[in-house]
Amino acid sequence: MAANAIDQTRRMLSLVTYLKDRPGARVEEVARAFGISADELISDLNVLPMCGTSFRGGDLLEIDTDGERIWWRNAETLGSDTAQPLRLAADEATALLVAARAVATLPGLRESDRDALQRATAKLETAAGENAGASARLSVTFESEGGVFADVDRAIAERRRLWLRYYSPARDELTEREVDPIRLFAVGHTYVEAWCHLSEARRTFRLDRVAEIKLLDERADPPAIEPRDLSAGLVQPAAGDPEVVVEVGPGGRWVAEYYPHDSAEELSDGGLRITLRTPEPASLRRLALRLGRDGRITAPVELAESARDAARKALAAYGE
Amino acid sequence: MAIAKAERLMNLALCLLGARRPLTKRELRQSIEAYVEAFGQGEHEESFNRMFERDKDDLRELGLVIDTVENLDGEVAYVARRDSNRLPPITLDAAEATALGLAARVWQQARLASAASGALQKLHAAGGMPGVTVPEQRTEGRLSTLEPHIPAREAAFEPLMLACRDRRLVVFEYRKSNAARSERRQVEPWTLECWRGHWYLAGWDRDRKAERVFRLSRITSAVRSRAGAFTAPVPDQVTVRETVERWAGESATATARIKLRSGAGYPLRARALSVCERGDGWDELEIPYGHGLDAWLVEFGPDVVVLGPDELRADVVDRLRAVAQG
Repeated sequence: MAANAIDQTRRMLSLVTYLKDRPGARVEEVARAFGISADELISDLNVLPMCGTSFRGGDLLEIDTDGERIWWRNAETLGSDTAQPLRLAADEATALLVAARAVATLPGLRESDRDALQRATAKLETAAGENAGASARLSVTFESEGGVFADVDRAIAERRRLWLRYYSPARDELTEREVDPIRLFAVGHTYVEAWCHLSEARRTFRLDRVAEIKLLDERADPPAIEPRDLSAGLVQPAAGDPEVVVEVGPGGRWVAEYYPHDSAEELSDGGLRITLRTPEPASLRRLALRLGRDGRITAPVELAESARDAARKALAAYGE
Repeated sequence: MAIAKAERLMNLALCLLGARRPLTKRELRQSIEAYVEAFGQGEHEESFNRMFERDKDDLRELGLVIDTVENLDGEVAYVARRDSNRLPPITLDAAEATALGLAARVWQQARLASAASGALQKLHAAGGMPGVTVPEQRTEGRLSTLEPHIPAREAAFEPLMLACRDRRLVVFEYRKSNAARSERRQVEPWTLECWRGHWYLAGWDRDRKAERVFRLSRITSAVRSRAGAFTAPVPDQVTVRETVERWAGESATATARIKLRSGAGYPLRARALSVCERGDGWDELEIPYGHGLDAWLVEFGPDVVVLGPDELRADVVDRLRAVAQG
């Protein structure tokens, strides 16, 4: 794949710089330093002897390995020109600088980490020179509740249980529960994944919905579970969850952006028929109310009726 | 088997870096086995030229500065000067290197994830990160205990990122949130900003002759970028976030009074300017009133009653009627 060839070239260029000053470097250590597997490193090492400043003049890199250690035999003659540390590309500087700035602004981050990140950012900006400029074209803000964040962070570090008063939008209610935090992650909003003793299951809590938090003295002892894979998005409905159908007009198309769905069929008026699954269909009553004339739930009928019923009851308070 | 692309690119890079003088295209072609093998000595001029241009572009993407000069015989020649390609000295202490290594893992977008690890590898090779390793995906790390992720699943992200970087005019189809159809937009892209997990583009809309913010998930076509950089100035401060907050109804312009059932509507309470118990099972709240408040209040159904202003009350009643009749 083309993208891999570029990554591999990038890596091999750094590899020769790295190997020049470290004769007899250990395969294991080099692989770890480069964040790759030993096999990937060996395949790079198989390519490098085919590379040089000219295959005609015989100026090829004499890099070899016995599987444990790596030697560059002609580093003296070839290395001075070809193995100098290379400047950062615009994308490389951008990737590091934007990430460091985004993380450094997280409210609740430990001050020592924030300081270290800011110092690293300043050094990188200097080293990247004019290529640091491109990083101004991207920015990322994480949302977080500083105080809650700091408590969850501390609970995880000290392996302590937490008490939460937590808001559930599906039921519009606050519940109190004790949880053993497992991990703290940020994808737009900041969340804590925890073992919840109230539901006796793994739950993900959004920090801005935590109304109150207390660090308990009890030791957190969550069962060993695989962390959730976040790459596919946070909400991953199960195949067995009940199906809900929502029909929206043009003004309700945003529903398809906010709710993971199985299908969104175009309607002739510029609207959509969206089919989605949720473990708690009642939680979509709020959506039906919010949509107003921009859309309605068509299935299941009981859910559609409960939204209409709620609207009628609300209207009664206005004398209608 | 044809010689792999990585080997070809590596050879081109080493030739350009190792040369004592600028090398002509002909010299490079003869020095690199992959070119000889693919195109022979003098034939297939055009295919060779295309590959050579692409390869140079790829190396430039990796950060290599390749200068084009004319040699004494008036021929075009290429050189990667050592001084313009050298990383200035940089040394991070252990805390800085660890923090940076962990922050670098936030990217879930392939191109930026690769760029981030490539950058760390360069810093490593330069001896700038003593005692710290480039973290592998999914290994344990500690930056506080946080794992931040920056998603970028939108197909438009990468072309727009490159267009912002290279200041290229872009053209795409865009459907506004409440529009039935997409419209073609011509935009001078300024910046991309991620807020609450969604990406937005700010730029100058050429047809509307105004600054506009676009949500990437509403781009309905491929993003095409025009050759040649635009020259209009890009403002230093771009207010993506303020615009999006306004869309989200988060910039209040007035206050509203509502009645809220005791115990219900925690998010409304969290934002309230004042809460006062009435003693009849209801509380009275004063809350910020901006665009979108009517839709939000309706979500709480019979647990909210608007007391004022009248305009908000009418909007809420209107929405409730629509739902009741739905």
